[in-house]
Amino acid sequence: MYDVWKNALAEIEQQISAANFSTWFQDTSLLSTDDGHIVIGVKNSFFVKQLHNRYLDTIKSALEHNNIGVSDVTFEVSSNTKVTPRPREITHTTPSIKPYIRKAKTSLDPYHSTGLNQKYTLDNFIVGSNNDLAVSAARNIISSPGDRYNPFFLYGGPGLGKTHLVQAIGNEILKTRPDFKIFYTPISHFYSDFIDAIQSGKGKEFNLKFRKLDCLIVDDFQFIVNKEKSQEEFFNIFNDLYQLNKQIIVTSDRLPSQIKTVDERLASRLTWAGAFDLQLPKFEDKCAILRAKAELSDIDIEPEAIEYIAENVNTNIRDLEGEFSTILLMSEVRGVTPLELIKNGAVNINKQSRLRPASAKQIVDKVAKYFNLSPKDIRSRSRVSNIKNARQVAMFLLSKELNLSTTKIATEVGLQNHTTVMHGIRKIDSDLKKDFSLRDQIEEIKENIYG
Amino acid sequence: MKIKVTQTKLSKALNNVSRIAIGKVTLPILNNVLIRVDNKKVSLTTTNLDMAIVDFLPVSDSEDGVVTVPAKLLAEFVSNLPRGEIIEISSTDTKVTITAGKYSSTINGTLADDFPELPEINETSAVVYKINTDDFKASVGQVAIASSNDLTRPALTGVYFNTVDHTLAIAATDGYRLAEKKIINNVESEVKAIVPSSSLQEVLRSINDDAEEVEITFNEDLVRFRLGEIEIISKLIDASFPDYQKLIPKDCNIHLTLDREELARITKLAALFARSVGGAIVCEATEPDVFLVKSIANEFGENDSIINTTVDKSGKINLNSKFLLDALNALDEKNLRFDFSDRVAPIVIRNEKSTNYTHIVMPLNS
Repeated sequence: MYDVWKNALAEIEQQISAANFSTWFQDTSLLSTDDGHIVIGVKNSFFVKQLHNRYLDTIKSALEHNNIGVSDVTFEVSSNTKVTPRPREITHTTPSIKPYIRKAKTSLDPYHSTGLNQKYTLDNFIVGSNNDLAVSAARNIISSPGDRYNPFFLYGGPGLGKTHLVQAIGNEILKTRPDFKIFYTPISHFYSDFIDAIQSGKGKEFNLKFRKLDCLIVDDFQFIVNKEKSQEEFFNIFNDLYQLNKQIIVTSDRLPSQIKTVDERLASRLTWAGAFDLQLPKFEDKCAILRAKAELSDIDIEPEAIEYIAENVNTNIRDLEGEFSTILLMSEVRGVTPLELIKNGAVNINKQSRLRPASAKQIVDKVAKYFNLSPKDIRSRSRVSNIKNARQVAMFLLSKELNLSTTKIATEVGLQNHTTVMHGIRKIDSDLKKDFSLRDQIEEIKENIYG
Repeated sequence: MKIKVTQTKLSKALNNVSRIAIGKVTLPILNNVLIRVDNKKVSLTTTNLDMAIVDFLPVSDSEDGVVTVPAKLLAEFVSNLPRGEIIEISSTDTKVTITAGKYSSTINGTLADDFPELPEINETSAVVYKINTDDFKASVGQVAIASSNDLTRPALTGVYFNTVDHTLAIAATDGYRLAEKKIINNVESEVKAIVPSSSLQEVLRSINDDAEEVEITFNEDLVRFRLGEIEIISKLIDASFPDYQKLIPKDCNIHLTLDREELARITKLAALFARSVGGAIVCEATEPDVFLVKSIANEFGENDSIINTTVDKSGKINLNSKFLLDALNALDEKNLRFDFSDRVAPIVIRNEKSTNYTHIVMPLNS
């Protein structure tokens, strides 16, 4: 693409005066040619009008001579100055902030505000094996809200990105459908607003406000309280919106059936379209998150330092990012690189997961117990389907939770052949994508194991 | 086109706009000033394609039209005419005739078609702030000293306008020191934008007694400063500014209150002996009450000066004397607070009473 623009420039150069060429076309670049939509990068906004008014036809024909189809041309300010490596100084590794402006809302009318925070976008949500399923569902919702994944129930431990993902869905929908009425609320705010509304005799308005929505996002659903009246209100709103095919998005730290205060009718409805979970990121995912974070804020950090942090923070993404910024800031202040800092032993991070590591025997026992079998049954050669199924779940958990080799797993569940184990794990893996009750079962077993 | 105006007014306006209409040799028309009369509204415009200055000139009589004339030539011609003379400028095609009493001249102008059209601010999405002219001038002066002129790091060649917690602050850094001033409280709109220091210099130069208030309007990639009849439009720097709040130490171990002029005096004395070592001086606080500034230049000798003040904890730090003096000159109260922790963390200098201005300086390696 770069070469094409050079060719076009060479042609333009011959058509206009040298003074005009060097003034207007120096530092321009071709940013995109998708489907004939040409985007040309210019130094600053003073260049836009002149190029547009004066040289649009020249640019068009020059591009067309280079076999680039042109349907329209837009100009975008894009400084293509390259950042050169520099010696260390106070601002070196500091995260920097992209410029933006935001006009104050003229009226802070709660009936029009979305409650969304614009910093959450899908672009800065790092996709990994721990969350790809949820993200692909999210993308589906963004392109057609209220359609396939409705209601969208997202669950996972604290700091894994639930809020980020659902707010990103809201923000992305607004990009393509600016008129969409979206409202984001943590469940606790829903209650206090509801109670306020009732007390001030505005129950009707409250109800109406929600029923007018095109998309309702409820965060931290686990804090739902067992107050009949308000839970019923939520249930009604939920039903109304669902009937009208309006998108409903709910997040929680566990499945609805595991929240004691939730009414059964509501619990079952929430997972009608399935439940999606965000899992703890694996080592590679963590490295990817840190690398992306470093890149977003334009920071140089040694790969070894990233690996060290990724290896030593095992709780959640929020802690991961917290440790990352702390180390960067310390390296700033001390004037050494992050890796030197780590090697000096100046940082002490070792955030272990709160989960106690389980033994292979424990896993087999708990799986057996969950399926009302004895551990002996699982270790037997029986091919009865429910035993076989339980055995596969056990194999799956042994592999995922303890990272045991397939041969080791084979001995744990009394099998001769490790290929059977491979088959079993693969089967559960693929079933998980379709069978939501299986996902729930496995979550519950996990909870039994660690709980 | 025709305008009729007093020498004083015209000369002032031309001097103001012609400053940026020089030096661009690549495109000759950028050396010209665009004179436009549109339904009694007379404007003089110049641009260097990084910024533009527009001066709306009050005139007694006018006829519509537009022409461009070499700005420097016209400005110098008009400024040499006697004060109080009534000047008439008229044009036919590209010939521009200037008459004032018995003086008259004709300048070869250029058609206005080649003059670049200025980018426009989208008023509906723009963010607007207003600030008292004197405050603005003082604040920009206090902050811009810390900005860099290293073009390889564009973000640092500007002054960063940013809102934090409903306060508009301006900040600049060259990587070795940083200055921040909170200029407007209780703002609703948010902005994060880097305005080129060179454009701000022009804004400061254009400030005269007529305008009590500066109106600052930000668009996605433009900023406009309105000072009475003058409008200055500038590009914004398309780069990311460091998240500088994190660089300001939250807490320091050693807190000193010092007389600003006294500190400036002994820093200057020490700087005399620090020339051969790049201006490096040592500041040392010793319990209970001695603050010492010293410098050592092997071939000339050395210098020690002392200020008596309460010292809560002993400590020592090496600083660049020029940076320290810049910071002292930017403050305005009699006393200042001088806080630091150790040899590696930056020092924090503020006025004793008002806290809206913060200046931090990185220590030198020792």
